[in-house]
Amino acid sequence: MKRSHLISGVVVLALMAFLPLIIGQYLLNNAVLIVMFVGITVAWNIAAFGGALSLGHAAFFGLGSYTMAILLLDFGVNPWIGMLAGMVVAAGGGLLLSIPLLRLRGPFFTLASIAFAEVIRLVAVYARDFTGGSEGLTIPYAPGWLNMSFSDREPYYYIVLGLTAIAVLVSVWIYYSRVGYQLRASGSDDEATRALGVNTAVLKVVALVISAALTGAFGAFAAQYFFIVDPETNFSLNLYSIQPALNGIIGGAGTVLGPILGAVLMTPIGEYMRGAFAGQQGLNFMIYGVVLVGVVMLMPGGLVSGIEKLRARFRLKRGVGRRTDTTAALDESRAEDRL
Amino acid sequence: MEILIQTLVAGVLLGGVYALVSVGLNLLFGVVRVINFAHGEFVMIGMYIAFWLWAGLGLDPYVSLLIVAPAMFLLGVIFQRGIIQPIQGTSANMKIFVTVGISIILQNLALFLWGGQHRTVSTSYSTSVFNLGGVTISVGRLIAFIGALVLVAALFYIMNRTMTGTVLRAIAEDGPTAVLVGIPVKKFYFVATGISVMLAGVAGVMLTPFTSASPMFGFHMTLIAFIVVVIGGMGSMVGSLVGGVLLGAIETLAGTYISPALQQAVLFAIFIIVVLVRPQGLFGKGAGTEEVGLK
Repeated sequence: MKRSHLISGVVVLALMAFLPLIIGQYLLNNAVLIVMFVGITVAWNIAAFGGALSLGHAAFFGLGSYTMAILLLDFGVNPWIGMLAGMVVAAGGGLLLSIPLLRLRGPFFTLASIAFAEVIRLVAVYARDFTGGSEGLTIPYAPGWLNMSFSDREPYYYIVLGLTAIAVLVSVWIYYSRVGYQLRASGSDDEATRALGVNTAVLKVVALVISAALTGAFGAFAAQYFFIVDPETNFSLNLYSIQPALNGIIGGAGTVLGPILGAVLMTPIGEYMRGAFAGQQGLNFMIYGVVLVGVVMLMPGGLVSGIEKLRARFRLKRGVGRRTDTTAALDESRAEDRL
Repeated sequence: MEILIQTLVAGVLLGGVYALVSVGLNLLFGVVRVINFAHGEFVMIGMYIAFWLWAGLGLDPYVSLLIVAPAMFLLGVIFQRGIIQPIQGTSANMKIFVTVGISIILQNLALFLWGGQHRTVSTSYSTSVFNLGGVTISVGRLIAFIGALVLVAALFYIMNRTMTGTVLRAIAEDGPTAVLVGIPVKKFYFVATGISVMLAGVAGVMLTPFTSASPMFGFHMTLIAFIVVVIGGMGSMVGSLVGGVLLGAIETLAGTYISPALQQAVLFAIFIIVVLVRPQGLFGKGAGTEEVGLK
């Protein structure tokens, strides 16, 4: 990791911290959602470093929510400890999903991840005694930092900002570490990486488990923020499985900046469309789908690679480019592999 | 005992339709080498066309097959030209997200155009049943089962006894060589995708007399078809047939003996177990399976 990255990261975080002073409660709600989706997308992307495109992360999100809620309601466990427990349970879920991860590649892992999340959702609906069935659980309103429960949105904003900062830090650290290089190598060519003596199986499992635990933390946060946990929302395929994957792919999966860019761009669009087309069900997700197909077909590496390509072309035109056509082509192929 | 037989019969009949949907998915994977996450959506579209033809023109679902089948074939050709062809040479991951995107678009298009309510076709024979040695059989389900079997058999015949089928099998076996020997591969991709989408649409129509159409139904069918293909084995038509019937039986058995709420959970659990224990499926040939890690 370069020093300049660290500095720009700190600057962005400091600017973000001042946001609540400028904007009102309504916009702050949007800010909380955007920051939360940045965090979830970044967490999802950690598994994608190793080439695992999961559409089952709603399982980890929901496990985080339910663990916290059940511990709080049935055993009176403090929500902060509940959040940690939620991360542990979600990590356990990640360990379970890593069984098909090591057996399957490409579409069949993606499919197995959907099936995995659906099984957990259906079990949550079924086990009424614990989970409250399809009505779900309501989190009692008890304001105070100790209870992670507030009447204003500011504290929630700072908590989710902190969680997302941690997720980004973990993602950046993995990306630039030795493990990250090996992981990314395995994502683009698993067999070649193994041939070089890297135990890619362990790396992939570790990445998935970290990704799952972080997603679980956001699930626990969401339970406190929305005061309600129910299977249709907290295990929602659309919201927490497809959306993070979509944000990541649109921004550029497997890169550090891509998922952040994707989530920052797509979450407000989604929120706006949900409000604007409230009467016309389905229209907002339809536009999401169109954007996804368009970006994937026109810019295979996502927005990040699109921007890089534009920059490369600009440099070449000015004649100061150090990059020759071959390196540009190499970049392009790398961008495709990354996806 | 009576309940068991009753459940089994209902399951097997439903399984016929699952088999029909799955052979289409399998064909597309085998020949065009694309795993189509939007496959179930074509079943859903078939159901809606049949519903609207019935609601608008009073057309019997089985009569509407004459319109649905060619329309769906055409839709398949458009799908191949506009979506599949541009992504055919790319990585498996890209194919996943483009077809997932198409699935999201079609699902929400249906929700946008026709709303979330369930649409049911009610015909004179919708609720009619007949009794066979103490077992009650629904007429609609029996017709769907027989129709599905006939179509699967027809596909068998086409694949194994006609020139078109031979060419399609050749492409499935070795695409690049098929190009080298002068086969107009692109044209045959249209045929394969067209047939695949058409079979899905026809399966949808067959379901309408006893199943209501809803936007999310397609997603459910996609998952079912994938599980059937995995259980039966990639590239194996017989496998899809047996897998479909097996899955239909398991689904209804789980609904009766475990809990209707866990019906799908049981299917997914079986899918994951099959993938772990026998990844090549019951009748897997292994062709192309290494691509997706199903060795």
